[in-house]
Amino acid sequence: MATKAYTLPTDIPTETVTNIRSLLRIVSLALISAAAISSRLFAVVNFESIIHEFDPWFNYRATRLLAAKGFYAFWNWFDPTAWYPLGRVVGGTIYPGLMATSGVIYNVLHALNLPVDIRNICVLLAPGFSALTAWSTYMFTKELKDESAGLLAAAFIGIVPGYISRSVAGSYDNEAIAIFLLMFTFFCWIKALKLGSAFFGTLAALFYFYMVAAWGGYAFITNMIPLHALTLILMGRFSSRLYVAYSSWYAIGTLASMQVPFVGFQPVRTSEHMAALGVFGLLQIIAFSELVRSHVSSKQFQTLLYASVIGMGVLGFSGIVGLTYKGWIAPWTGRFYSLWDTGYAKKYIPIIASVSEHQPTAWPSFFMDLHILIFLFPAGVVMCFSKLRDEHIFVILYSVVASYFAGVMVRLMLTLTPVVCVSAAVALSSLLDTYIDPTEPVLEEGESAESEATPQDPTKKVKKTTPPSNSGSFGEYLARFTGNTDKPRGIFGVSNRLIVLFNTFGMLVFFVIHCTWVTSNAYSSPSVVLASTGADGNAHIIDDFREAYYWLRQNTPEDTVVMSWWDYGYQIAGMANRTTLVDNNTWNNTHIATVGKAMSSPEEVAYPILRKHDVDYVLIIFGGLIGYSGDDINKFLWMVRIAQGVWPDEIQEPNYFTKTGEYRVDDRASETMKNSLMYKMSYYRFNELFGGQQAVDRVRGQQMPKEGPVLDYIEEAFTSENWIVRIYQVRKEDLLGRDLKVANAFEQGRKRKKTKPPVRRRALA
Amino acid sequence: MARLLFLSHRLHVCSRALHDTTTTMARLWRCRAALLLLGLFTSPLVSAEHTFENTAIVRTVELGGSFVHVTTTYAVRALEDGSSIYTVALGEDEHKKTSWINAKLKGESVPLHVEHFGLNSNGAYLYTVALPNALKANSSANLVLETVQTHATYPWPQVAAQGGPQYLKYEADLFVLSPYPTAVQRTKIRAPSPQINAYSTPEDMSAFTQDAPVTKSGATLTYGPYNNISANANRDFVKDVQKRISVQYDYPAPVLEVTRLERAAEISHWGANLNIQDNIWLHNAGPALKGQFSRLEFQGQNYHNRIASSTLVSLALHLPPGVRDVYYYDQNGNVSTSRLRTTPSIPKGLKSNTYTLFEMRPRYPVLGQWNYSFTLGWDSSLADYAGYDKESGSYLVGVPVQALVPGAVVNEAEIKIILPEGATDVKFHPPFSAVMNSVSNHVTYLDTKGRPAITLKYEQLTDRHAGMIYVSYKVPFSAHLKKPLAVATALMGLFALAFASKRVDMRIQK
Repeated sequence: MATKAYTLPTDIPTETVTNIRSLLRIVSLALISAAAISSRLFAVVNFESIIHEFDPWFNYRATRLLAAKGFYAFWNWFDPTAWYPLGRVVGGTIYPGLMATSGVIYNVLHALNLPVDIRNICVLLAPGFSALTAWSTYMFTKELKDESAGLLAAAFIGIVPGYISRSVAGSYDNEAIAIFLLMFTFFCWIKALKLGSAFFGTLAALFYFYMVAAWGGYAFITNMIPLHALTLILMGRFSSRLYVAYSSWYAIGTLASMQVPFVGFQPVRTSEHMAALGVFGLLQIIAFSELVRSHVSSKQFQTLLYASVIGMGVLGFSGIVGLTYKGWIAPWTGRFYSLWDTGYAKKYIPIIASVSEHQPTAWPSFFMDLHILIFLFPAGVVMCFSKLRDEHIFVILYSVVASYFAGVMVRLMLTLTPVVCVSAAVALSSLLDTYIDPTEPVLEEGESAESEATPQDPTKKVKKTTPPSNSGSFGEYLARFTGNTDKPRGIFGVSNRLIVLFNTFGMLVFFVIHCTWVTSNAYSSPSVVLASTGADGNAHIIDDFREAYYWLRQNTPEDTVVMSWWDYGYQIAGMANRTTLVDNNTWNNTHIATVGKAMSSPEEVAYPILRKHDVDYVLIIFGGLIGYSGDDINKFLWMVRIAQGVWPDEIQEPNYFTKTGEYRVDDRASETMKNSLMYKMSYYRFNELFGGQQAVDRVRGQQMPKEGPVLDYIEEAFTSENWIVRIYQVRKEDLLGRDLKVANAFEQGRKRKKTKPPVRRRALA
Repeated sequence: MARLLFLSHRLHVCSRALHDTTTTMARLWRCRAALLLLGLFTSPLVSAEHTFENTAIVRTVELGGSFVHVTTTYAVRALEDGSSIYTVALGEDEHKKTSWINAKLKGESVPLHVEHFGLNSNGAYLYTVALPNALKANSSANLVLETVQTHATYPWPQVAAQGGPQYLKYEADLFVLSPYPTAVQRTKIRAPSPQINAYSTPEDMSAFTQDAPVTKSGATLTYGPYNNISANANRDFVKDVQKRISVQYDYPAPVLEVTRLERAAEISHWGANLNIQDNIWLHNAGPALKGQFSRLEFQGQNYHNRIASSTLVSLALHLPPGVRDVYYYDQNGNVSTSRLRTTPSIPKGLKSNTYTLFEMRPRYPVLGQWNYSFTLGWDSSLADYAGYDKESGSYLVGVPVQALVPGAVVNEAEIKIILPEGATDVKFHPPFSAVMNSVSNHVTYLDTKGRPAITLKYEQLTDRHAGMIYVSYKVPFSAHLKKPLAVATALMGLFALAFASKRVDMRIQK
């Protein structure tokens, strides 16, 4: 009879225990959801209910159209105000899942007489779905281990910064709902695989369809599930359960995913989707051979069968390769290549490389985004090895693949986060199971003295315990590691348990503090509104973007064409409601390069480009006055590079550096740099602001030349309060047919003549 | 004469029935067809029969930005006994610009009934004023006619540099029209500052005066006195003798115009709250900006406190006392540049001049011909605006009409008053007649059927159009219970659903 470290009441009926457990589970999940939602509301509390950043502005605009005009208008939406003069077929070039979700919520609420503003739905969608993500992570982890691990995983994913960074209130982007769909699809897959259930397979397919409609990252699922299936086959774990689960998922999921116009025939025509098709074929062959084998006993026939199976597999594979060669199946896209070769994008697709979230992840950001979980994560993965059921293999594969991707691209940190939370929860829950369990090991006679001699050393204790009754994979594993499988394992006394538990609790507290701090400080800024703290501690809001956009909206004709770098395209369309040349949907590289060329060329070269594109206003971001580092001068080299990609003869990157290879904006800047339109627009009349003092660019920390740039072909139309947004109007051709530069010089000369004589006359009088 | 009186009386009654109060007549259009006929028919009678003569007419024009206040004092002498209907004439242009009209006897505060008489074929618009007591022959009275003109001034020159001065031009007719002969008449034009750039001097005035036709002293221009003017509300005079005068003057504040105002007042009994929300489309009607806006110059001007008078940088709005949860946003979200100084609400029945000061700054300085639209709203305790009449069991709520932006004309206004759900016996009494009113159904949070909503439309509201729209309604007790019942039913439904789904076995196979 094993002794207990502490006594538990035994007179409670089992039913009561079950009920209380289920109640506690519901309450915990509700609290976790509340924590997940409320920690995402920092952005609303600190700022306001506003759409953040860039892409969400487009999603918001599309959703507004959907809410106002209905689904068909949205589906057939051709937007003539984007990519002027080309326009954009929006309905066929977006993942509509996000907008459709908001539209459904909007219509349901309005049908219930709750006229919630569509903006608030969009702002609060991500926090709402984070609660669902917590729940689906709970379900997923429950399948791996048990409910307590599930609750831990839910709590982790609820507040972990790696996920919050993409789902704060106002971050109305595809990822907001995609992570929930990802986790829920995986849960359905695991469940389908476990039960061999066509129902759960279909459910997985439906959520896969939703995922396809919502996020381009669906390719992750498209390749993860086949990889899992293939691994299981290679491990010799083929079963009818796998066959049913995979076939129902693939058949229904692929057909469904082809209904999304933006995806269309890609599932059968691109290399990204071929793995799924290949595994599907392989499964059919294997299933067929299994079927035949179960009916035929002849050994020869089996040999023949194996040969034909392998032959068919090879044939299928070479067929795919052949089709790819022929061009029937598109090879991998550049975005995909850049995942394998991190230098690829910089060489061939500078537009992709120019996006900051496509950069490789820095090491500190792993800790920043995951905190203690990053240390618990490997432990959890190792524990999966100790059980190695089908679902554990899935988690192991997922961890390996996602770890690699998260290292390649900052953005893909998001796909790593769920598996980190799941693994960490498994590890931590095993630890807690071991240390909370009151069962003490049964001692063999000889060893009791030794153990009593060092009762305070928990590491030694672990080695000498018997396996506890209901849990102990952790202890078991540790034992296997040290080789003492035959010795009893366990923990003695309450104090030993308390030491470990107290430390664990402390870690969790630090985790919560860290998450809250990171969320409130790093991830809750809308980036449309900037906050600064004054010397007296007062918060000061810098609202230049909205000021300038609102000015455009209110005081320019509705058909005005605004040129800006593509980063601001969605915001101009959303907040200023004006036509733009390029926007964040970077589908036309040449068009972007045209804008880049206009920005990096001298005025007289840029002017015809501007006129040909009917540009009325040019909008730039300039942070030199208040030190806003994300401005256009800092992005300027990307404009040059992208323009160079299309016009290598006219734009050359080295011309924009000084002779010593520095990127400067002061006296020593190269002539090409100083003559470029971007430079001129950024620093036009900037030095006059300093009233004769030395003008200093606060971002670059460089002193500006005494003579500021002169503009002939465009004129300053509006500058925001802190000079962050500067808008220039493109002048019309001179009425007398002169070059604008000549006309300007003439006008200034005449003015000088006109103003001087009266002074002299007055002096004479 | 008797016939005329009878007709006037008919008109009077007709309009009484339509309008409770007497102030705006200018924008009246409903009975216009009838009035027009009557006016055509009766006006020759009016101008032909001189029951009055004007011993003196003094017109004072207070020049402003959006508004020009004109006060005309008629010293009237009756020629017959029992003369009680005096007729006032406005020129065509003047009539078009006049948005508010009010008449009273000098020294008294009770407004007299003014009735628009329809278009006069003689080129003047006639209004009748009912004197409180009929005058005996040779007795006299001083009648004061106040009008507010809107859109009467325009920037001249039409463009101004960013730091440049703002000049407005005002045009008017030289002679005050009247269907009665006038002994002496003079017009004073007061500019806001002595800086009057230009003013016109009427020529060929020998028939009326021997002195200079116009004199300027400080900020005041005086046209006249002109003597012996015949009854001039007729086409011949308007065509041959009437002259246009114009004044160009410096105006030291932005000329603001609210092109559209949407006010929604929502009464909530459960929240004991009156929410008022204004959507305001503001337009700076000053001279257009010459060239482009330069932030550098603006910051320099700001630093030296020399921002051009036509530029709107900030506005101080007076909100009612005791308001809560004031919000100010535009289509791009919250505008963070504003300040609020609240004052507590005043107990009912007490008169007080306190107000909540809301200092708002538009996102950008609003220069001449620029626009800025925004939304401003607040909550206030319903008790401050509502009363309950125990005898009739009805509630009475007053909703202010007045536009918030000081000195700005409201081109069109739509005021919507949303009553609690289930309100019955809805009656409303606007302080001045609306162009259009309608009752509709408004559905919002937690409503089952929707709430009655009254919509009133106005045009050309001036600073004198201040008042309350009084709405009385009854709410039966059952209507009060609607909301909690609806919420309780919905929640119960959810619980029942959860209960059923947990306990009903849906499996096909066991």
